[in-house]
Amino acid sequence: MKFIDSIKKDFNTMTWVLIPVAIAINVVIGQIVVLLRLPVYLDSIGTMLVAALAGPWAGALTGTLSNIIWGLAIDPNAFPWFPVALFIGFVTGWCAVAGLFKNWWKVAVTGFFVAITAAVVSTPIAVYLYGGITASGSSFITAYLLETGRGVFEAVFSTNFLVEPVDKIATALLAFAIIKGLSKRYISRFPRSENVEIEEGSRTNQLVIALIIAIVLIIISATVLTLILG
Amino acid sequence: MTQQLTFYIDRDSQLHRLNPLTKIVLVFSFIIIAFTGPWYLLPAVLIVLAIIPLSFLGRIQKEYAAATRKLLLPVVGFLFVMQSLFHPDTGEILLKLWFLDISVGSLRYAFLTASRIFVMVSAFILLLLTTHPSVLMSDLTRRGLSGSFAYVITSTLQILPQMRAKASTIIDAQRSRGLDTEGGYRQRVRALLPLAGPLVFGSLVEVEERAIAIEARAFTSTQPKTYLTEIPDTPLDRTIRWSLVVLTILTVGSNLWL
Repeated sequence: MKFIDSIKKDFNTMTWVLIPVAIAINVVIGQIVVLLRLPVYLDSIGTMLVAALAGPWAGALTGTLSNIIWGLAIDPNAFPWFPVALFIGFVTGWCAVAGLFKNWWKVAVTGFFVAITAAVVSTPIAVYLYGGITASGSSFITAYLLETGRGVFEAVFSTNFLVEPVDKIATALLAFAIIKGLSKRYISRFPRSENVEIEEGSRTNQLVIALIIAIVLIIISATVLTLILG
Repeated sequence: MTQQLTFYIDRDSQLHRLNPLTKIVLVFSFIIIAFTGPWYLLPAVLIVLAIIPLSFLGRIQKEYAAATRKLLLPVVGFLFVMQSLFHPDTGEILLKLWFLDISVGSLRYAFLTASRIFVMVSAFILLLLTTHPSVLMSDLTRRGLSGSFAYVITSTLQILPQMRAKASTIIDAQRSRGLDTEGGYRQRVRALLPLAGPLVFGSLVEVEERAIAIEARAFTSTQPKTYLTEIPDTPLDRTIRWSLVVLTILTVGSNLWL
């Protein structure tokens, strides 16, 4: 019973109404980014928003439904990727519960964890369904790695590991920026508003720390990557 | 009048008249059969003998062809080429390009993977072309799916075109006030905030109003609801569903014997 109660806690009417709006935010911002020809996706902002405000289960649901809606309305190629979006929401939610969504640099760390999760979850899908080559530009990196003799899993995972951190950390920071812009009264209507009690601190300081941490994490992951690839 | 954001084409055909659950079972059994079939030509056979005839049966063959051309062929084509070139080679080498080879083995693998994806996406396209999402959601709700899920999907499909219209209004408004959306890299990044900001915050404010509105319409009530429209579920539907389940089990099972 406790487990189900924990799930139920995430969902009140505000959550149910927020989820469609969050999905719409995912889609529209994802498409604005394409219009501006920026080299990121930014299609999980809504998912992370819901995860922080309403909890991991609501976040996971938002991610899943976001993929399904994208498949229903825009491109059915998106359907098989729903576990990735699910875990993006799930991990963000738990990071927020653990207090990692309260200032800029903590949010950057959350973004990093999400990036790793996204890379890990999307690899098996890419390998088993698509044989490792999906329709995005990063496939060329995968192809190159395959040609130099790496196993399929290694090649796909390495590609994802390169691409995800920038996108997911930026997404997390943007979701946090949105939360900062909302009034406390509004946030208090959501089930897990305690996750986003913003810690005060000089804004510039924190942004600088966030940037430094993001860069450090990316450098660490690149080093780890080259070690794995040997 | 809000435009619906769906693939659905309103026509009368045998596929349209099938119960939505039957079509869902069709999609999933096709996918499972295509991905677990022991023969590398099975998905291709499925396409020629099942999917294309079904598109004619549903009288949506033109729309299906258009959707395939737009959504499917680029992806599948790209996949096929990349896999032929980069998949580890087995069997006789057929072609050598620079440092890449195409072998019988990699061609076979590429063909299998590409045709499997083709089956999967085609099956969904067929479903979406012949099933109105509201009818689909309504049927699933009557079978026990929580009303909140159905609300989320239907509501999102309605909100999306509204948001897009809002987004393009905001883009136009900001551009007419001098926002540069075509300049250098930095310009474009800076353009993101004035475009996305009003959109996001405007929509979030609406969330509270909507929540109050649906609560006033008994959204959280657990009383059984009466439905206005009927969605027929005929014996033919039930037969089709069970045959598909049996076929799927047989296909998966055949893997154990071979």
